[in-house]
Amino acid sequence: MCDVATVQKIANCLGVAPGEIQLNDEQVVTRIGAQNNRVTGFATILESLAVESKSEIAQNSIASPEVQAQVYQWIEFAVLYVGPGSKDKHVSKQLLADLNNLFSSKSYLVGHFLTLADLAVFYAIGDLIKSLSPVDKENYLNLSRWYDHLQQRPDIHQGETLLNFTTIYLHNWATGTHL
Amino acid sequence: MILFTNEGNPIGLQLLVLAKYLKRPMFLQQITITDAKYKDLILLPTVELDNGLRLFSTAAIYKYLLMHEGYPRNEWLEWGATLLTPALEHYMATGHRADSRAGPVLNALVKKLDDTLSVSPFIAGDKLTSADLFIWSLLAPDGTLKGAQNVEHLHSWYNKIKALPEVQEALKELPINTLSFNALQQGNRYGGLAHVQLRRGISQDADKVLADSGPTVADTVSEEEINTAREAFIYTEPKELVEPRTVLPKPGERNVLITSALPYVNNVPHLGNIIGCVLSADIFARYSRAAGYNTLLICGTDEYGTATENKALAENMTPREICDKYFELHNSIYRWFGIGFDYFGRTTTPEQTEIVQEAFKDVYEAGYILTESVEQLLCQKCDRFLADRFVEGTCPHPGCGYEDARGDQCDKCGKLVNATELVRPRCKVCNTAPVLRSSDQLFLDLPKAEPKLREWVDRAEQGWTHNARVITRAWLREGLKPRCITRDLKWGIPVPHKNFEQKVFYVWFDAPFGYVSITKRYTKDYLQWWQPAPGTDVELFQFMAKDNVPFHSVVWPSVLLAINKGNTLVSHIMATEYLNYEDGKFSKSRGIGVFGNDAQETGIPADVWRFYLASARPEGQDSSFSWTDLAARNNSELLNNLGNFVNRALSFCERNFDSKLPQIDLNHNDFLLLALINRELRGYINSLEKAKMRDGIRHLLSISRHGNGYIQYQQPWALLKGSDDQKTRAGTIIGLSINIVCLLANLLFPFMPTTARAMFAQLNTKQTPLDANKPFATLLLRPGHKIGTPSPLFNKLDHSFIESLKAKFGGSQADKEAVAAAGAAAALPQLSTVELEAAVKAQGEKVRQLKASTKDKAVWQPEVNKLLELKKQLEAAQKAGAGVTAAAGESPAPAGQSVQALEQAVQAQGDKVRQLKASTKDKAVWQPEVNKLLELKKQLEAAQKATPVSTGAVAAAAAAPVPSASPSAQSVQSLEQAVQAQGDKVRQLKSTTKDKAVWQPEVNKLLDLKKQLEEAKTASGAASATDSPAPKGIDAAAVKALQEKITQQGEKVRNLKATGDASVWKPEVEILLNLKKELAALDGSAAAAPQTKNKKKK
Repeated sequence: MCDVATVQKIANCLGVAPGEIQLNDEQVVTRIGAQNNRVTGFATILESLAVESKSEIAQNSIASPEVQAQVYQWIEFAVLYVGPGSKDKHVSKQLLADLNNLFSSKSYLVGHFLTLADLAVFYAIGDLIKSLSPVDKENYLNLSRWYDHLQQRPDIHQGETLLNFTTIYLHNWATGTHL
Repeated sequence: MILFTNEGNPIGLQLLVLAKYLKRPMFLQQITITDAKYKDLILLPTVELDNGLRLFSTAAIYKYLLMHEGYPRNEWLEWGATLLTPALEHYMATGHRADSRAGPVLNALVKKLDDTLSVSPFIAGDKLTSADLFIWSLLAPDGTLKGAQNVEHLHSWYNKIKALPEVQEALKELPINTLSFNALQQGNRYGGLAHVQLRRGISQDADKVLADSGPTVADTVSEEEINTAREAFIYTEPKELVEPRTVLPKPGERNVLITSALPYVNNVPHLGNIIGCVLSADIFARYSRAAGYNTLLICGTDEYGTATENKALAENMTPREICDKYFELHNSIYRWFGIGFDYFGRTTTPEQTEIVQEAFKDVYEAGYILTESVEQLLCQKCDRFLADRFVEGTCPHPGCGYEDARGDQCDKCGKLVNATELVRPRCKVCNTAPVLRSSDQLFLDLPKAEPKLREWVDRAEQGWTHNARVITRAWLREGLKPRCITRDLKWGIPVPHKNFEQKVFYVWFDAPFGYVSITKRYTKDYLQWWQPAPGTDVELFQFMAKDNVPFHSVVWPSVLLAINKGNTLVSHIMATEYLNYEDGKFSKSRGIGVFGNDAQETGIPADVWRFYLASARPEGQDSSFSWTDLAARNNSELLNNLGNFVNRALSFCERNFDSKLPQIDLNHNDFLLLALINRELRGYINSLEKAKMRDGIRHLLSISRHGNGYIQYQQPWALLKGSDDQKTRAGTIIGLSINIVCLLANLLFPFMPTTARAMFAQLNTKQTPLDANKPFATLLLRPGHKIGTPSPLFNKLDHSFIESLKAKFGGSQADKEAVAAAGAAAALPQLSTVELEAAVKAQGEKVRQLKASTKDKAVWQPEVNKLLELKKQLEAAQKAGAGVTAAAGESPAPAGQSVQALEQAVQAQGDKVRQLKASTKDKAVWQPEVNKLLELKKQLEAAQKATPVSTGAVAAAAAAPVPSASPSAQSVQSLEQAVQAQGDKVRQLKSTTKDKAVWQPEVNKLLDLKKQLEEAKTASGAASATDSPAPKGIDAAAVKALQEKITQQGEKVRNLKATGDASVWKPEVEILLNLKKELAALDGSAAAAPQTKNKKKK
């Protein structure tokens, strides 16, 4: 998903008016908010949204300087690694493994509550997760659990079709296709 | 604070500078990310703060520790981290220079910094902020700004920051010249930031500010390297490379025995097989010989087994004849590829029988053979025991469940399978479920050999490739089980054991001994290689694809350890991953991919194939064969880099120095070049010693790149016009260049022997041995040496040529046949009718004979299919013939006729489907037929539409030679051109990237244009009564293009569906449906056009 659309989704999710979101001449996402206030850069925009929002996710994300720093680093990770890396066969494999490993011991990326870090990685990794086979999804069980958990929230899926994470139906489905 | 970073990582400097700035202690800890101890770290550098919090984002750390600075510093931190850092990494890191965007993008970023600093003294305003430190630390390593022009503001800011005491302090701990963006690649497990696509901004044509060379590697050369280069560059009389008639190992010398996995005789090897085994082995052997080791390269065909028996039945020959036939095929393919086996043998020899039987007796006497009653699968319909490869079913391994697992191995999970354990087994030939029957078989007691094997693996695995180690370890972890070594077959080596005389050895007990027996065919002293005397060390290198690893690392060593006669055991298992074909699999049955004999037909020289395959060798991970890549490498690396350098140096010498090598007086610059070359040379030797061919090629090309740069920089042609001193200097440059050419020829020899020989001929010299212990460039050709006649080494591969090859080998076999048939029919309709009649008759005869001789449907079915196909063609041709006479030699007629043929085919297929659906509910059974039906219908539809359009267009073209000049017609024309141009653009984009996000906008534009065109046409049609023929032609072309696309997409969908994963093929199906919709929309206009035209005619 492109940055502009992601920012709009996250703004919706936080219940903040996104303002005008566009790409500047360096092809970097830019937000023109109230009073013609320009903010450039995906992570910086997300921070500005969090400050304006009253939602729980936004409050979580700026709960303490430590949380804020960690949230920021994951947003940057989503921009530099998850988004572009999803399109690379080998990077994406490593990403899936790393994130899966990470979620083996925690439910959210930062702290024990939903933050912008989760949202950024969630939207960045969507296409990659969509491309996984049911067996793969099962291989990355912890990541799948996290993703499924997030996508169930109406404020996050925002009307998109939910991805399927059940594998039970596989056995009916996979009868011999042999010629 | 603790800073975890890897050696040379430039980002570490950012953090250290920050710590100094804050006056807080920071302990530097250099680690490697692959170290298991740090497996929880995701990116380096990572900082552990005093409160235990670990952060890996430098920007996050900056913000956390200096929170008050806030905006706009924050934006600059993000800018530095997400734009500048990737651009620097792409630009600086070796191997990523290929990204042509890196230069302009980085240039624009640097320009932006300069612009910012022209209006304010610091990056984020009037005061120094951490953004200055952050960005300065990115620009410092690798000397980005060295030689940059027109960025005075940036330069003065740079020096200002550099002078800060905090910065100076940090530089003491991390000197700039130890840092390089190369090291980012080792900073994480994603290979650095190479995956980040640089965004090319709009205002990218900023004036060029950075110096061309970027950072000069020359700055990194140490005095010591220069001295070594100077000392090494002397002439020594080269040792003659003599090969004894028979190579035997010698005590006290390095003896290298190389084997390539024995190809199975029935399979025509494809490019993946070739690079995985024989070609890799050959390249390594050539290197090994050049390095002066006693080298023996052995290979041959593996000929026993069920598959051969069946093939023999199918072709009505004896197994022996089949083997002879295919052996020749293999041999000729490998010979064409220039594979220099010392001996290419086969397994059906008396030597093989003797060696295998003796080995069996030894194993038996050592007590490693068990007898067990085995349940075997008997297909009652085919009336025979089913060999493993003739059973398929669902993989029994938990968690896999792949439904097309073979009886010996599952393609999905890679684990070995016992045919009897398959869930829901089925006979591959007739698809009925086989029953279990029992018979006695001999087993190899692998559990008994396991302790010895484990002990040996612990010692030996150091020299194996990573995947070989992993696979072997996985086997050992699961524990070994006894494995059956006999089979109820005839075509094989008889078991020399009471009550087992009627059975033969199973292929994996038999085949590995092929290496030994083939060596015995080569020399009677084969035991010197395979059971060397004490004091003689033989290193055994075995090349194979990864699916062969277990047999070479577990099974065969177990046998040899059980025999315990001091046999040579493998010291280096060189296993490759798989080579894919244009992102799919090679498939003989579907006719996808390039097979050994095809490569020859392309007209591309064998050496270019060798070069490309070696540089795309699937080391470490799967790689893909791609035509575009092949052309690109040939054109950019062979032609423009290597070929250019060689030809430049030699021609210059021929023209200006009378083909004689001039006097060479080297100065500092020349030694600098030699020092750089020595670095690459060392890399080359190290790579090839470990059989890492890809890296070897990379180093080789770097040497030639250095050479090109050297000539370009020194400009000998200019010097030649100057004073005497300058002329002498030009001579030195050419003399040195020619010596580098000679070095390159030697390094190239393992990869491209024919080309290397041509180079030697042009240099008028011979191959010289490589010294692996002293990898330094030496004076190979002395001044006064007379060179031969230079001529170009490589040819350009044109885009259109490559596209035609892509089309030829990309489609399915059926497509190819259709194309061939269509071509034949169009060319000689009458003649081919006669020919086809004869062919039908002959084929009918063959089928009758086959049916009489065997009941095995698998045998005669293919022939029957051929017959049916021929009959269909005949029918079409006959009708076409009639059409031709009627239309007095006009060509469009066959298309009209093929509509009829298609209609019939659709009807027949429809009947078949209805019957099938009535008889079974199993979708798996009727789905393929339904697909065929759909395909046929589609073809019919296409044919129906193509016919009127093409005739219409032809007639119109003849009728209206003068284009109308009305303005609306003009706009139609210009729109047509725009559509065409945009179409080309889209096609190019699609061929270069799969990223829909990239090409979708262009596609949208194309569709828009088409819509406009259509509107314009309607308008022009209404405005003027003149009939413009072109739009229909264009429309027909668009329809055709769409139809082609649909066929391709359909093919893709079918292939994907065969893999069974809905989440994978669903999106593709959608694309297909969209395409069809598009076609329908276009067809509406296209079909309507000729009708109106006809009316007008009336």
